[in-house]
Amino acid sequence: MTKSLFVCVCVAISGLGYVWQKNAIYRLGDEIKKREALLSSAQKRNLMLAAQLAHLESPAELETKCQGYNLSLVAPKESQVVRLYEPGPEWDVQMANAPLPARIPAQQQVRLQVRNPQPRAIAQ
Amino acid sequence: MTLAPQQGRALIVVGALASVFTALAFRLFDLHVLQHKELSALAQANREQVVHRQGRRGSILDVNGNLLADSLSVRIVTADATITAPQASAIAEKLAPLLGTDVDSLTRKLSGQSRYIRLNPRVKLDEDAVQKIRAMKLKGIYFEDQFVRSYPNGPLASHVIGFVDAEHRGVQGIEASMEDYLQGQAGYEVIERDRKGREIRALRTEDLGPQDGLNVVLTVDQVIQHIAEQELERAMEQFKPQSGAIIVSRPKTGEILAMSSRPTFDPTEMDASSADARRNRCVSDVAEPGSTFKIVVCSGALNEGIVTLGDQFDCENGAFMYAGRVLHDAHPFGVLSVEEILFHSSNIGAAKVGLRMGPARLYEYVRRYGFGHKTDIALPGEVSGIAHPLARWNSLSITRIPMGHEIAVTPLQMLMALNTIANKGVRMKPMIVKSIVSEDGVTVLQYQPRSVGPVISAHTSELMTTALRKVVGPEGTAPKAAVQGFDVAGKTGTAQKVENGQYVRKYYSSFIGYFPASNPEISILVSLDDPVGGAYYGGSVAGPVFRAVAEKVAEYLGMVPQTPPTEVTKVS
Repeated sequence: MTKSLFVCVCVAISGLGYVWQKNAIYRLGDEIKKREALLSSAQKRNLMLAAQLAHLESPAELETKCQGYNLSLVAPKESQVVRLYEPGPEWDVQMANAPLPARIPAQQQVRLQVRNPQPRAIAQ
Repeated sequence: MTLAPQQGRALIVVGALASVFTALAFRLFDLHVLQHKELSALAQANREQVVHRQGRRGSILDVNGNLLADSLSVRIVTADATITAPQASAIAEKLAPLLGTDVDSLTRKLSGQSRYIRLNPRVKLDEDAVQKIRAMKLKGIYFEDQFVRSYPNGPLASHVIGFVDAEHRGVQGIEASMEDYLQGQAGYEVIERDRKGREIRALRTEDLGPQDGLNVVLTVDQVIQHIAEQELERAMEQFKPQSGAIIVSRPKTGEILAMSSRPTFDPTEMDASSADARRNRCVSDVAEPGSTFKIVVCSGALNEGIVTLGDQFDCENGAFMYAGRVLHDAHPFGVLSVEEILFHSSNIGAAKVGLRMGPARLYEYVRRYGFGHKTDIALPGEVSGIAHPLARWNSLSITRIPMGHEIAVTPLQMLMALNTIANKGVRMKPMIVKSIVSEDGVTVLQYQPRSVGPVISAHTSELMTTALRKVVGPEGTAPKAAVQGFDVAGKTGTAQKVENGQYVRKYYSSFIGYFPASNPEISILVSLDDPVGGAYYGGSVAGPVFRAVAEKVAEYLGMVPQTPPTEVTKVS
């Protein structure tokens, strides 16, 4: 009698477990599907925003916006450009071997004139 | 022994029941055993469904990774008019504002007989709008995912990028030539649906996801392209030519930085454009180049040692009789050196250089520079131009070809010839695709600049540069093409057009040039077909356009001027 009861309980538990497991699989499937939909939606939105960003960053759009806001933005004149030359390894070697420069009086430094093609600063 | 009446009835009932159950058992056996194969297949087909999913088409990017063309997945709203017809106007009123259409046309669509209507084939619905429509729970209204091609820059570089057809296949431009890389691979899923038609995710048996197409990175820079388009547009307004073209390239590598044609089109509004506007004139149109072609004969003669820059030719005061026909110069010249022939652009001088060179050698250089052959740029619709074989030359050809007549070239061919001179005599193949990259940024294929081979020596190239520098000088034909701060070498071209076999008073004006002349970084071609309003010389029509483009490109690329405008500034 006990044995029969035990077998019945086992069968019942196995049945319930199977049903619960199946149910869990279906629920998990639904969750996966929801997440997939969210991911797909986010990816679509991402693409849409990338295209929108590309449009907003396009030269024609930027130019239109500048004109619209009356920003009067123009490219700098050559005289307004300060070019910083990046010395290469040759320059480093040359500088390392060069004798130390004599100290230049402060007044002279202020009045120092720089000719092209050396770096130039904006006229004061 | 006789049966009682109730027993007889019971037997009948039992017999009937037994017959019914036997019939049922037989039917079950029939369904489950005899017809198992067919019926299980039918049942499976009812439950299972194979859903095909198309991979996203790859993007087209400029050299700096800016998006030029992309594919967006959008929701298309569809309707079954047989269901929506009774409430067409009510549904239309709700949907019209979200779909960006008017109520009347939508009502007409919804009250038809069709079972499948696309309500927003051109409007990109955002997710919010989709959710709003979904929340309305309208009967007979459905959603469908579809890819649409997006061109964020509108008409910018439209001839280079091209466009796709309704099936999302490339038709023109890079869209067509790089189709194999751009197109995505379709995938599929085997799914089961519940009675409401929703997928039961847990029962998805096969899931082979689609593969997105690869991205194509161009050598084109969208800012330089914008500069070229803007300046070409200005020239079109000012000179009102039938068509125009600007190409910007790097002579050392053959990379195309910008390629612009007019008339143009917007790939997002294909219906509004004509086939004529969709043609990329930089590679598909040919014209007699005129004086720009003098670079071929002069460089060939210099390279062969037949002439030197200082050799002098009598330019016959503007009228030279040869083979029974008179050849004219735009201005009468006396004796000119080869260098002067180039910067004064004397037709007679060029013809005499051609005569000294001879047809065979001239023809050899025409071929060496690539005329009569396609450049093999990765753009569809390229033509090879017309360079007649030597056997078809007549007695006048030797005097006409040196001045750019009796030969037809594409703007790209002409620029590539100039690039050869700028690149120490080595001809490069034009390059418009830089690389193919995957969605996650891995480079799948990297294109390298390709040399076709040397055409002239480096020394000849230097000699040509010396002469071409003077073209933009005060004595040359294009002082308006000079760029402040940079040493420019170039050549003007003003070719009379041929209509019905006759030269007419219509002109093809062009200017080709490169800078800095001592170390060429950029080369530009400007051509305008039939400018109106009086001016038609290449130097006065195309020259200023060249300068405007060159100045802006130099500024954008941060090219350091060789001769800065201001000499001295004070350091504080």
